[in-house]
Amino acid sequence: MHNNFSIDDLVNDLTPVKPMNINRGLLLPAIMVVAFATLFVTQLGLRADLAAGIPSMVTLMRGGVLILLGLATAHAVLRMAQPSVGNGSQGWAWAVGAALLFPLSALIITISNISSDMPVNVNNGWYCFKMCLSASAATAIPMILWLRKGAPTSLERAGWLTGLAAGGLGAFAYSFHCPFTSVIDISVWYSGAIGTSAIIGRLVVPHLIRW
Amino acid sequence: MIANEETLKNLMVRSQGGDKQSYSVLLEQTGRWLGRYFSNKISSDAIDDLIQETLISLHRKRDSFDPSRAYLPWIAAIARYRWVDRLRQTYKHQASTLDFDVAEDGHEDVVGAKISIDRLLTMLPDKQAEAIQLVKVEGYSIAEASNQTGQSESLVKVNIHRGLKKLATLIESE
Repeated sequence: MHNNFSIDDLVNDLTPVKPMNINRGLLLPAIMVVAFATLFVTQLGLRADLAAGIPSMVTLMRGGVLILLGLATAHAVLRMAQPSVGNGSQGWAWAVGAALLFPLSALIITISNISSDMPVNVNNGWYCFKMCLSASAATAIPMILWLRKGAPTSLERAGWLTGLAAGGLGAFAYSFHCPFTSVIDISVWYSGAIGTSAIIGRLVVPHLIRW
Repeated sequence: MIANEETLKNLMVRSQGGDKQSYSVLLEQTGRWLGRYFSNKISSDAIDDLIQETLISLHRKRDSFDPSRAYLPWIAAIARYRWVDRLRQTYKHQASTLDFDVAEDGHEDVVGAKISIDRLLTMLPDKQAEAIQLVKVEGYSIAEASNQTGQSESLVKVNIHRGLKKLATLIESE
């Protein structure tokens, strides 16, 4: 198959390389999040409670869950670029579990019939959904480039996790503007955006990182 | 004799720094290690190609080696990835080309056992592992594998497909 293969050729082709460093890998997605959060705040405005300096409990919980989900899964994604048998970190699974907090809360509220007083905000919701996905797409790019540079061995899982990480980080960036205060709205639109981002990641990313 | 983990890791770290002499030794030693790693896991006429593909992957992806971690689990993950990729490709060979003489040479110590391909296959359901072993590793036809296992031909195909898909998700498992 490789008729021209020669160890000497590989040796002659050797140039010094800088080992991939996960902290360096996290830098670009973090810059994307800051850039998009700044863009949303300057163009659309800061949430009222944040602007007043008294963030609500929902705002704090949402931000905490999103950044936890985004960072834990982004760390797992970037780690996948450096394969190793026995590399079984499952930290991202805990973050996904934490992220299920909102849909579960919404389900409980719905079952308790409280939802009749809290209709889903469709117009603002679609806008939120689109903004979250836009920021997610931009955040996914540096992670995909990092994976292409590295040697991921589980392409489908890398796709799911890239989508999840980008979804969490993109939604976190948008949350600085997002005016929603209801758990139902947050659950429907944020979970929808993050879930959609994960599905797109699963469908698209493996083709881009195969090696 | 093949160099141990510590020596290989040192060679790899120096190679990342551009030391060609270390790199030459590393490639030669890794090639020998891979020859044993892949023995009996693919037909003998495909082993050389697989070793070459893995060494080329090592070369292209050498910056993905983390100097703070062990070398053999890293190269084993790359080798397993290339192996699963190769099994997916359709190829035909004679079952008799398997070289069983190179099998037991004691290289499978505790660490070696954890990162071996055998270990990977044991994580599959028996019927999937059996179908892959017969058709993809030993080179039997689907019909022959069907006769040997008692599975229908379509079930053999399904088990191969599902088994390879699952193997791809288990590459970094020990």
